[in-house]
Amino acid sequence: MKTLRVAIGLALAVLATLAFGALRFPAPPDLFLLVVASMARGGAVVPALLAGLPAGLIEDALQGPQGLLGLHAFSKILTGYLLATIGARTIVEKPLAVGGLLAGAVLAEAATLTFLLWVLRGDLLAPAPWLLLGRAATTGLLGGALHAASRVPWRQRRDARRRMRLN
Amino acid sequence: MASPSLAARRPEILLAVLLSLCLVGLSLQVRRPGGRTAGQAWLLAAVSPFVEGVTALRAGAADVGTWASSRRRLLGANRSLSAEIERLEGELLKLRDAERDKMRLLELFGAQPSPPAGTVPARLIAIESSGPFRTGLLDRGSEGGVRVDGVVVAPGGLVGRVIAVGPRTARLQLLSDKTAAAGVLLPRGARAGVAKGDGKGGIAVEYVPTIEPVEKNDLVVSSGTDGVYPNGLPVGRVSAMTRKSTLFWDIQLEPATDPRRESMVFVLPPVRRADVQGGPAAGERR
Repeated sequence: MKTLRVAIGLALAVLATLAFGALRFPAPPDLFLLVVASMARGGAVVPALLAGLPAGLIEDALQGPQGLLGLHAFSKILTGYLLATIGARTIVEKPLAVGGLLAGAVLAEAATLTFLLWVLRGDLLAPAPWLLLGRAATTGLLGGALHAASRVPWRQRRDARRRMRLN
Repeated sequence: MASPSLAARRPEILLAVLLSLCLVGLSLQVRRPGGRTAGQAWLLAAVSPFVEGVTALRAGAADVGTWASSRRRLLGANRSLSAEIERLEGELLKLRDAERDKMRLLELFGAQPSPPAGTVPARLIAIESSGPFRTGLLDRGSEGGVRVDGVVVAPGGLVGRVIAVGPRTARLQLLSDKTAAAGVLLPRGARAGVAKGDGKGGIAVEYVPTIEPVEKNDLVVSSGTDGVYPNGLPVGRVSAMTRKSTLFWDIQLEPATDPRRESMVFVLPPVRRADVQGGPAAGERR
């Protein structure tokens, strides 16, 4: 079931990333991170790691530098582990806190990528700060909104409406 | 008693295995300056003390006669190389004159050079940006005649180059990508430099000596010496220049084209290496 969720999530992330690209959106959210974060909820480390690998590899194929498979996979696995570890030690339930955590995860992932590129290639390829902050903000906002939507008891509300109609 | 603690450590072990796999995979792919992969570079760094020791031993035991003959040989090679450099400099000057004459004639007669055979029109359907990387997606691929290393141009000038081709789509690396580079010529004195993307949408030109006159709004064109881009394509206009050090200018370019505003581009066939006049390979700094 989790595998199916990850597969659907990644497929949607690919389509939405391409759509953001087609719309020339300057700071698109990191949708692959949202998939990893959803698997890391409640401190599930292993599912987060296993989701991070395909998410990162797909992101490498879609957006990464030419012929360099594994760069985003590394950072996504590490970020997934961090998110799951935080989820296991603290209770992050408020949408604002979830958004903040995701924005922080985007910044941490960017730092990991920059460090990794520096180690591998020997030159410092830091992303533009305002673009990075924009990406962190949009990812945090979207993640917070999705988390808030997932907490709404849709089924109970629908049942209540149906009961009212019957009465 | 060991197995429960091992089971408890399962996530950390999995993390270490996955990260190691990624690192090994990456180190086998990344090419360092000089053409070696990062894995090879690390391996060489690990064995270099041993190699250096052996080399020092061998050098210490070298014969004086060998040294003399080597010196004679080197002097001869130096002389022939100096003559070759002089000849090549002469050829370079001739080529620059010919290029200037061609541009002047084109200006005088109002003629436009026709695109080379195999030029393919394509739509730029998406622009992707991930950290310092800037790539785009074309709606034509190998079935439409697009090939890897194809040069992507817009009416304003150079956009980038094709780095991956699928049957119906192709990925291109924009010039503003932080790992992109191209050989360029400055208009005053036809001085060659290297244009590099800054990863933020702009382009910087390096290795232009401060004795070279540079003015704002100067049009910088591709030099064709990098083996990737043909010569004469507009790259951008000088928007700012500062003295980076006592030797070189730090020149910022306003790109000739803004990929975000271009929907239609042309893909020129890749430059054949044999056509290159000389100079370092560019296009990708890796």
